[in-house]
Amino acid sequence: MQYLMQLLISGLAIGAIYGLIAMGFSVIYKSTGLVNFAQGEMTMITAYIAWTISTTVGGNLFLVSIGAIIAAILLGLVIERVVMRPMLGEPVFATVMVTIGLAVILRSSINFIWDAYPHGLDVGFGRDIVRIGTIGVRTGQIAVITTLLLMLVAIWAFFRYSKFGVAMRAVAADDRTALLMGISAPRVHAAAWAASSVIAGIAGVFFAISYDLSPAMFQLGLKAFPATILGGLDAVLGSGIGGLLIGITENLAGGYLGSGMKEVAGFLMIIVVLMIRPFGIFGERDIERV
Amino acid sequence: MRTGDYKQTYGELVALVDSPPVWLWSAVLVLALIVAPYALNSYALSFVTIILITVVGALGLNILTGYTGLISLGHVGFLVTGAYAYAILVSKYQMPPLAGFLGAGLVPAIASLIVGAPSLRLKGLYLAITTLAFSFIINTVILEARWLTNGARGIAVQRPELFGISFDSDAAFTHLCLGFALVTLFAALNIRRSRVGRAFVAIRDNDTAARVMGINLHAYKLLAFVTSAFITGIAGALYGIYLSFVSVEGFPFLLSIEALAILIVGGLGSALGAVLGTVLIVLLPEATRMIFSLFSAQMDAMFSTGAQELKSMLYGLVIILFLRFQPRGLVGAWHDIRRTWVHWPLRY
Repeated sequence: MQYLMQLLISGLAIGAIYGLIAMGFSVIYKSTGLVNFAQGEMTMITAYIAWTISTTVGGNLFLVSIGAIIAAILLGLVIERVVMRPMLGEPVFATVMVTIGLAVILRSSINFIWDAYPHGLDVGFGRDIVRIGTIGVRTGQIAVITTLLLMLVAIWAFFRYSKFGVAMRAVAADDRTALLMGISAPRVHAAAWAASSVIAGIAGVFFAISYDLSPAMFQLGLKAFPATILGGLDAVLGSGIGGLLIGITENLAGGYLGSGMKEVAGFLMIIVVLMIRPFGIFGERDIERV
Repeated sequence: MRTGDYKQTYGELVALVDSPPVWLWSAVLVLALIVAPYALNSYALSFVTIILITVVGALGLNILTGYTGLISLGHVGFLVTGAYAYAILVSKYQMPPLAGFLGAGLVPAIASLIVGAPSLRLKGLYLAITTLAFSFIINTVILEARWLTNGARGIAVQRPELFGISFDSDAAFTHLCLGFALVTLFAALNIRRSRVGRAFVAIRDNDTAARVMGINLHAYKLLAFVTSAFITGIAGALYGIYLSFVSVEGFPFLLSIEALAILIVGGLGSALGAVLGTVLIVLLPEATRMIFSLFSAQMDAMFSTGAQELKSMLYGLVIILFLRFQPRGLVGAWHDIRRTWVHWPLRY
């Protein structure tokens, strides 16, 4: 029982990280209609920038988080402006391939700018263990689960109530009509990329706090894929919840079936989900009319 | 007055090559490749061999992604399956190499049915993600099935002996790869001009219209998967033999990206494009290294320390630049040049 609880808690913690990255995926999908294969790499870059800031300012939590958020926004905006905007109006295959190219470039730039060794991100919290009953939990793990929940509420409110959120939904639904209604689609795209980059960056920083920073971190993006497919590519909240589900499944599979299963549990799960509900649990079925 | 190169009969439309001199030049190229192993040093020869093996794989992916329009991010999965099928049959169970090659084609083809079947309901991005998932699942299966695959330790592979001819030397092995590349090229060109190939292209261009015209989408999509996986598996076997060692590390995920880069750079959906793209992508890191080393020894040193990273950076950059500025790839550029050459100074 205690083993199960321990697996569940750590599953929730890693799942919250997947969930945040998956929300990043679906924010971009929802407003631009494309899957950003560079999401994991953007997560990794922000985490590395946060690490650089923390080593220069001595791990001041406030400075590190502000710096990381600004860096993530800039990263998202630059990518959108330099790489993605010229591809507006091109077929989806071409734009998605561009994000794959971008992913490859970002991934290899890590080894150039930083190095290939793992590092710990020390901001003075996150590594110490709190006991809830008999189960030990790291404070970083509690923080990331809380952040995911707060983010879910914030994003729900944003899309539901704010004017810009409604504009984003409009662009996603039909960008030409949205343009005719006076919404600037490029601005919406830029905002989506910046927002997605920030959400993914937060996930990266939390991952670096609770675990370690290494050039293999881009694999988080691959792990978050199942999460966003499970929740629905166009469902931002669903993706967050999908992340939690994948995290738990993965940890239970790893704990009871062996470490090999841990690696593929998420992927096996999406193949099954895609067969039953190709649009995800919370996604919207798009109807094609001929 | 004739204003262009028009095709007037169906026969011309499906002809293997559109003008006789192409046969001559192709023959010259093949002869050059046959002589090449005796003329080149072993470093240059290794590039020829790699290009020939990669052409086989690129043509395989081209059938799925180029002709049928189904994006696959997991082709390295078929590659590694083919390599392991060959290694297990030949090295572990001492089967004849010919049976090994057959197995290297058939095993990925069967595996492709497993990944293809759930993919029938999916299009575009979702399919890309399922194939991606497949390549990770296959890696785990290989690592876990130690009794069959030796797990992470891998399997050593010998150069084969076919029909009493030993392909042990580098030159002979290049000839073997050349043979496979030529057969694959002919197969790919002939598939494209057959009924099946036209069905593939119809599915790519508009699957609803294709279905209305009586094309069985499920059957043809699965057929595209099976054919593509068969060819890719054989490329995997050749690559395994070339490395003389088959392991999961020998087939990194980057190969899937490299394969897509080849198709984009060459021009999607064209066999000639797959060949041109392969030549460019395989030689690109080497060519860049040479250009950089002209500038300074320091840059040369940077290349030798960060070779792997620079290589993947180049792939990424080339993908982005081609999609942005020449989406039809080298084949498109070639068509433009040819047209300008014929029509100059008129525009069309």
